[in-house]
Amino acid sequence: MAMQKPLPVATEISRPFWDGLKQGQVMLPRCDDCRTWIFYPRRHCTRCFSQRLSWQAVTGQGRLYSYTLARIPTLPEFADEAPQALAVVELDEGVRMNATLVGLAEEEIEIGMALAPVFARVNARGDTLLRFTAPGREGQRDETPTLALGEDGKKQVPFDDGAALASLVTGEFGGWSNELTVDQALVNRFADLSGDDYWLHTDPERAERESPYGTTIAHGALVQVLQSRLSIPLDFELTGYATMVNYGSDRLRFPAPVPVGSRVHARARVKDAEPTRKGTQLTLEVHTHVVGEERPSVINDLVILYR
Amino acid sequence: MTGLRGNAAIVGAAQYKPEKYQTAPQMFHLEQVADLAGQALADAGLEASDLDGLVINGPHFHEASVFVPAMAAEYLGINVNFAEVVDLGGCTPVGMVWRAAAAIEMGLCEAVLCVMPARMAPFGPGEDPAWMAQAMRFGGHSTAFGAPEAEFDLPYGHMGQNTGYAMIAQRYAARYGYDPRAMAKIAADQRTNALANPEAIFHGQPLTIDDVLASKMVADPLHVLEIVMPVAGGAAVIVTSREVAARTRHRPAFLKGFGEHLAFKSPSYAPEMTDTPIGVAARKAFSMAGVKPSDMDAAQIYDCYTITVLLTLEDAGFCPKGEGMPFVREHDLTWRGNFPVNTHGGQLSFGQAAAAGGMSQVIEAFTQIAGRAEDRQLKRCDQVFVSGTGGVMSEQGALILQGS
Repeated sequence: MAMQKPLPVATEISRPFWDGLKQGQVMLPRCDDCRTWIFYPRRHCTRCFSQRLSWQAVTGQGRLYSYTLARIPTLPEFADEAPQALAVVELDEGVRMNATLVGLAEEEIEIGMALAPVFARVNARGDTLLRFTAPGREGQRDETPTLALGEDGKKQVPFDDGAALASLVTGEFGGWSNELTVDQALVNRFADLSGDDYWLHTDPERAERESPYGTTIAHGALVQVLQSRLSIPLDFELTGYATMVNYGSDRLRFPAPVPVGSRVHARARVKDAEPTRKGTQLTLEVHTHVVGEERPSVINDLVILYR
Repeated sequence: MTGLRGNAAIVGAAQYKPEKYQTAPQMFHLEQVADLAGQALADAGLEASDLDGLVINGPHFHEASVFVPAMAAEYLGINVNFAEVVDLGGCTPVGMVWRAAAAIEMGLCEAVLCVMPARMAPFGPGEDPAWMAQAMRFGGHSTAFGAPEAEFDLPYGHMGQNTGYAMIAQRYAARYGYDPRAMAKIAADQRTNALANPEAIFHGQPLTIDDVLASKMVADPLHVLEIVMPVAGGAAVIVTSREVAARTRHRPAFLKGFGEHLAFKSPSYAPEMTDTPIGVAARKAFSMAGVKPSDMDAAQIYDCYTITVLLTLEDAGFCPKGEGMPFVREHDLTWRGNFPVNTHGGQLSFGQAAAAGGMSQVIEAFTQIAGRAEDRQLKRCDQVFVSGTGGVMSEQGALILQGS
């Protein structure tokens, strides 16, 4: 895993709280029976143990219960916030929560001071954390890492910038590459080169009679390496490194055949990006599909090492 | 009157000299358990066959995460009638000792080994130390799906002990005022004690109030020299019935009272974070023992941070709430002083061997009562208060030990 700041993972119990923050709204559970406000979210009332709770919108206003300025980062990833203004905030409803203070000079921070909510969007996915500041300075705050764009419009990512690298990691695949036809001539050349001349790849007549596919199919390894002839659009480029090498694959699977004559294309996502002692390892999850097929023919978690 | 009758005692102890992790011997935890047990038995003048109870740490036990007592008893080669795992962080040693005493007074057993290995185990052939360090980076915080701290604390960088204790200290300052020199004096006085204890990791290294105040600010208002130094170590004590204690080598330390209290993991959710759980625990312990704070000859107070000592002095009743700073200024906390605290140096100067660190306070109480503290021996030491603290003041316990 890339070293990045931990993110909240919503549960069925807590989801309305996190969804509320994305809408710029603080939501709290409240007991229907004894009217006690609850935080953090639970299924039960901590006062009367009733399980009849309802979510209600609140202002997010409160007071500073306590705080510290952490001058040594609590995790290396938080070095960009140094000193971290870690706070315990007591909302007007009486519940307390751990959070951070933003937009305040050190000398402005005082226990008991009034606070107002800041909805901090921390990544492109829209994950939002609740921070606090002085009243009048509240509102939305975009903390999505911003990267310089190159002349080609691509994000420029210094190869050893852990936070910038971490921001590339995504569950979403990018756009499709160009398309390429895998014909029998290409398959035959690969058979010559690799020595794998199994009839399933090289004998169209026998394949028509005996193959479950009714035709020859391409070698999985061929479709894998054809990736070099597919130009996969990526919206970033790494900068500042001296060498870039193909470091192998973390995972290589051939889940579906490529019948000879098919057109293939590929797309990718950044699965992991992590500076290590050996250099920066960028893991691209590349999927090569027969055009129009939902199931990939090749899944390749390609590891590229930048030094 | 419920509680202990005072018929169980600490009769033997063993403790590894605190060392830096990098240079300390690596031993399997089972191996340490057997080694510490053997040393503690020899200290007491008892045989392995005398043991019929075992209390051990479950969390962070290297060779197993479940069935720890059975594995350890089998490895030791003993049979027991009482087996217990305690999971109270730094309060574990205090929690072990009273559980052992209670089991003895209930008639379950006669001689209980309470043991906590805290040296690193050797790395296996497939174990990468760097990877293991990475896996440990969240420390005592759960990252499990559904763990409240994983969801509501870690994303904000709220983690580790330093900032939690710092926030308690900041709130204390806002409510009652704050004297950094008094706080630094706690660390400096304890260092004076360590200078008389050759086992302490900071033995031979004097420390002044100004040194503490000049050290790096970690999280306001805590300086680095107000925070414990993690060391490799490990410790064991043997708790027995009065009958078994009668045939041991040293003056036993009888357990007259105890208390334990916990209500939260993050002090952010405490009713009031500057009123610490030791208040409830200490009141129970003093009342069970039928004594009061002013009867104590020494206080061995769990000291992960200076603020922990200050709040324990107040909440355990050694001084009124909010008057801890003047109390510290006006008392000499050293072994020569008028209010001896952490006469071995405390964990701040002796070293903190993970959760076994709190055993150093239990063992120092026994050592002083037994009159075996050599250069730092108190002239009179018949009654000692011991406290334990886990997490961020989240679990706390108190013991009253008496010689007789």
